[in-house]
Amino acid sequence: MPVLTPGLVHTPVTPFSHDGGIALEVYGKLLDFHVANGAQSLALPMHIGESVSLTDGERRALLEFAIARIGDRIPVLAHVSESGSAIAAALARHAEKAGAAAVIATTPYYWTPPATMLIEHFIAIGAATALPFFIYNAPEEMRGARITADLCRELIAKLPNFAGLVDLSLDWQFMIELMTDAPRLRPGFQLISGTELMVSPAAIGATGMFAPLAAIAPRMVRELYDLCRAEKLFEARTVQEQLAALRQSIKLGGVAGLKAAMRVMGRDCGEPRAPVLALEAVSLQRLVSELEAIALLRFEPRGW
Amino acid sequence: MQSPVTPFTDDFSLDLPTFERLLDFHVRTGATAISWPHHKGESLSLTIAERKLFAEAAVRVVNGRIPVTIHVSALAVEDTMELARHAQKIGADGILAITPYFWTPSLPAIEAYFVRLCSAIELPVLSYNSPSYLAGVEITGALMSRLIERLPNFAGVKEASFNSEKFLEISRAALSSRPDFALLTGVEYLLPSIPLGGVGSYSAAGSICPNLCSQLYHACMQADWPRARELQYKVSWLWLLFRDQYPSSLKGGMVMMGRPVGPTRPPLPTASKQRQSHIRSELERLGIFDSEPHGW
Repeated sequence: MPVLTPGLVHTPVTPFSHDGGIALEVYGKLLDFHVANGAQSLALPMHIGESVSLTDGERRALLEFAIARIGDRIPVLAHVSESGSAIAAALARHAEKAGAAAVIATTPYYWTPPATMLIEHFIAIGAATALPFFIYNAPEEMRGARITADLCRELIAKLPNFAGLVDLSLDWQFMIELMTDAPRLRPGFQLISGTELMVSPAAIGATGMFAPLAAIAPRMVRELYDLCRAEKLFEARTVQEQLAALRQSIKLGGVAGLKAAMRVMGRDCGEPRAPVLALEAVSLQRLVSELEAIALLRFEPRGW
Repeated sequence: MQSPVTPFTDDFSLDLPTFERLLDFHVRTGATAISWPHHKGESLSLTIAERKLFAEAAVRVVNGRIPVTIHVSALAVEDTMELARHAQKIGADGILAITPYFWTPSLPAIEAYFVRLCSAIELPVLSYNSPSYLAGVEITGALMSRLIERLPNFAGVKEASFNSEKFLEISRAALSSRPDFALLTGVEYLLPSIPLGGVGSYSAAGSICPNLCSQLYHACMQADWPRARELQYKVSWLWLLFRDQYPSSLKGGMVMMGRPVGPTRPPLPTASKQRQSHIRSELERLGIFDSEPHGW
């Protein structure tokens, strides 16, 4: 299996134009912005990139466009989560053919799968490709479906390309249990923080971070990441607290909040697709005033 | 900080001589404070009279060598109030109280509860946040700030979410209002919490491996992260071993360490011989018998 250390992973939004189509020209600018502002890899389209609101054809076209635009500047990781195992596996095959550096998948949508079903699902996806395969543990987004350390141990035994876990459970008990074993069972196994709360995962042994907030605050994100990788964990606390505040402000509105904040920063990527609604005026006003209260945001780039 | 288990004789009555020995063991092996009776001390399986009796014993035996706090959470809030006043009367250094059990109280109800408790005594009050055991009931960051502003003796939190986002929400709110507010984790999750402003933890495994617990704490405070990581993995493995029907497996492990403390009161089971031997083999695998004290 090719070795891939994704490091600091930006997760771009998907810009839409007024007619609801993907605004590819804006997307190209956005990808360039991420590369120029600290990304070591890109993962797309993640949930924050509205993967579930894209058609199968759009998803494939988007990935191909991104890989062509990025070229060999940095690796592009393809998010292939789906409800049906075969549909996800087909996306994984496509990702490899399109030139992605790795695939990522979370638990199947809607179903409430027991562990045996999760194993089957992940094996179907992982076995469809020779690329490194990262599993995304996001119980809050996935209505409680969570990855356990036992499940990872079993997948390590069964899937030679299972390369690491992207954690959005934020659960210290799980992360520590995982890292006690997994890197011994699979040398090079990586724990990647699923969001910009990296200090605790870094202490536990995480080597990477997914960063949707890089669309707003790429400098803060990079500073946090660099301090964590240098194991300057006490020093990382100030920027960590500012990013936690930013995350809390954005989280209320989800994708709509992030896109609204991007507009404030001079990087308009339109509104989310249905069924997600744009922020209402009151929420927008609150978001803007919360952003003003985050001191370090003053030093972040405006515009493209 | 150590929270001793509660020793019982074979007929499930309180075993005072063993409790005294255990308190002394914790003080001698590096505990920085004693807190009793946590859920690990089977607080909810003790009568109020029994809790008062052993609280008095704890204060008497520790005798000012390190601080003693009393956990006062009870099913009835009136009992909690009584235990808090009692703790103050006997000379304890503080109390600890969880959000009320059973009722899934609203945020205003939690606020009213801590206001009443903190106003009834002058001792420092540590709150206890454990949403995963209490159906999501939790002290939010905003509520933490309000309580700190209203109550001069609202001094800290035992945080048992073990979750990056929840810890940061509380630490950001609390430390900006009161920089010396004590952020403690429920069991020894020191590695992920100390870089974010945590100052310590209560201990699950301290009656088994006090040396390991102290080493982990010091490695974190000295920012020796590679060593802290190795120690944290080991301590957390023990937590997973003991978490199941806590504290019966822990009491089973104490037998293996030469510090028997008797059975666990029902409805919790007492660790069977088979469970004890499983624990023994795990302790052997982790090298605990070589590095930790045996007997009292």
